[in-house]
Amino acid sequence: MREIVRIEGLKMYFGGLKAIDNLDMSIYEHETLGIIGPNGAGKTTLFNVICGVYKPTDGKIILNGQEVQGSPPYEMARKGIARTFQISKPLYDLTILDNVVAASGIHEYTGIRSFFKKSHTKEVLEKVHDILELVGLSEIEHKKAREVSLGYLRRLEIARALATEPQLLMLDEPCAGLSNFAINEITELVLKLKEQGKTIVLIEHNLPITMKVCDRIIVLNYGQKIAEGTPEKVQNDKKVIEAYLGEEDED
Amino acid sequence: MGNYLITVAVNIAVFSLLALSLNIIIGYAGQSMMGHAAFFGIGAYTAAILTNKGVNFWLALLVALVISGTLGAIIGVISLRLRDDFLAITTIGINFVLVAMFQNMKLFGGSLGMAVKPLILFGKRATAIHFLIILLILILLVCMLIRKMNRSWFGLALASLRGDEGAAQSFGVNTSQYKILAFIIGTSIAGLTGGIYAHRMTFIFSSSFAFVVSISILSMVVVGGVGTIRGPLVGAILLGAAPELLRFADDYRMILYGGVIVLMMRFQPQGLLGENSFVMNKIEKYIIPLLKRKGGESNA
Repeated sequence: MREIVRIEGLKMYFGGLKAIDNLDMSIYEHETLGIIGPNGAGKTTLFNVICGVYKPTDGKIILNGQEVQGSPPYEMARKGIARTFQISKPLYDLTILDNVVAASGIHEYTGIRSFFKKSHTKEVLEKVHDILELVGLSEIEHKKAREVSLGYLRRLEIARALATEPQLLMLDEPCAGLSNFAINEITELVLKLKEQGKTIVLIEHNLPITMKVCDRIIVLNYGQKIAEGTPEKVQNDKKVIEAYLGEEDED
Repeated sequence: MGNYLITVAVNIAVFSLLALSLNIIIGYAGQSMMGHAAFFGIGAYTAAILTNKGVNFWLALLVALVISGTLGAIIGVISLRLRDDFLAITTIGINFVLVAMFQNMKLFGGSLGMAVKPLILFGKRATAIHFLIILLILILLVCMLIRKMNRSWFGLALASLRGDEGAAQSFGVNTSQYKILAFIIGTSIAGLTGGIYAHRMTFIFSSSFAFVVSISILSMVVVGGVGTIRGPLVGAILLGAAPELLRFADDYRMILYGGVIVLMMRFQPQGLLGENSFVMNKIEKYIIPLLKRKGGESNA
């Protein structure tokens, strides 16, 4: 399998807090990689570093053989790393459709030149409609984002990420706070994307879902990788069980 | 049309341009700006100084546009560090500083104000009606520009910036770049308007560009409807004509004016003609079906 992203010796310190400490990992093409860990393990920080929101204290992020660490988020997005947010960030006063159209313009935001290029062309709308169909938002595409429920907003996040035609799709807790019904729908959507051969990185607190969806899992604790491997292997790892349940008392 | 009406119309046209341009910054890009009149003033003084030195009027207007746009870019850069209320306060401060400069520096005529060489058009001194025509053409051009913007990727970039900067960056919008561009476009149109205004008045005072004027422009946008083209135009007409209509209540004008804004903010924050406002809903409910029915009958 081809390696899309390689992370070498990544450190992200906030003052004395070592949110990510000397992390090495790889992301391979077409895989679904789960990142799990207890609260405060550094999962979202890792996402934010990969997406350019934070500049890493040290270390390298190599995307397709090119060092990209420290690039601003919009550059990372243009290079093919798309992300969704744990707390949805819709453009509330735009319609669902326009939200996705805006995202599909990722390579059009060239400054003053973008003034002279129409946004809602036929090709763009066709592409956006396909994505809305895939994520199941077609029926409410003309509703304003502020009028729809959290479950739909999560799907909108995924639709926007897909519209950027990413090489790597990073989902930050897409199921958090949703009803069981909505969780099933999102899980199915992720499985569908996986079938299409998308490369996905998933942060998820819901372990059954992570085990079901992911090919490979990396477990973080206090900013360090404590285990890595297939879901079965990780589930039975002593360190992982300790991190989640605490150490056994020594008599 | 009587001279009085033309004078009022010119005034409304000037404020329409100012409101339309401010709306690009606050309505479309979602940035705070409470010192728009300062850029109106920069344009006015720049053009006035140049034509007084014998520079051609049109060239002077172009320079006024460029200079106010350049200074607007500086506000844009400031907006990268400050947001919302802090940016609002900063822009208020800039307004006060600039007015103080207009008032005290010899270059700008000091406290006495500055006489401006009258504009000669086709060998005759330009009158109010000439200025009205120039301004109306400009309003048309600016409206077309905004319409074009709304249909382009540029418009979507501003909408994303206004909606959520984090989201905007996640799909490739360089938010810093677009903030600065929005300030440049808005302030350069204000500067251009200032250049025309100076030659219409043939005498300019610092008080014409004071903070109160910025607030009036802001009120026009807010009352009319933020983020629309019709809003600032209607706002400028309503609030531009209000001082004339309310002349009988001259002493209480500011109270009425302030009261209207408070009521608007409470009950129609999207403005009279903003999306989903009371008036627009009524228009959609009663007038549009009426027009459609009429159209249907004539087809039959």
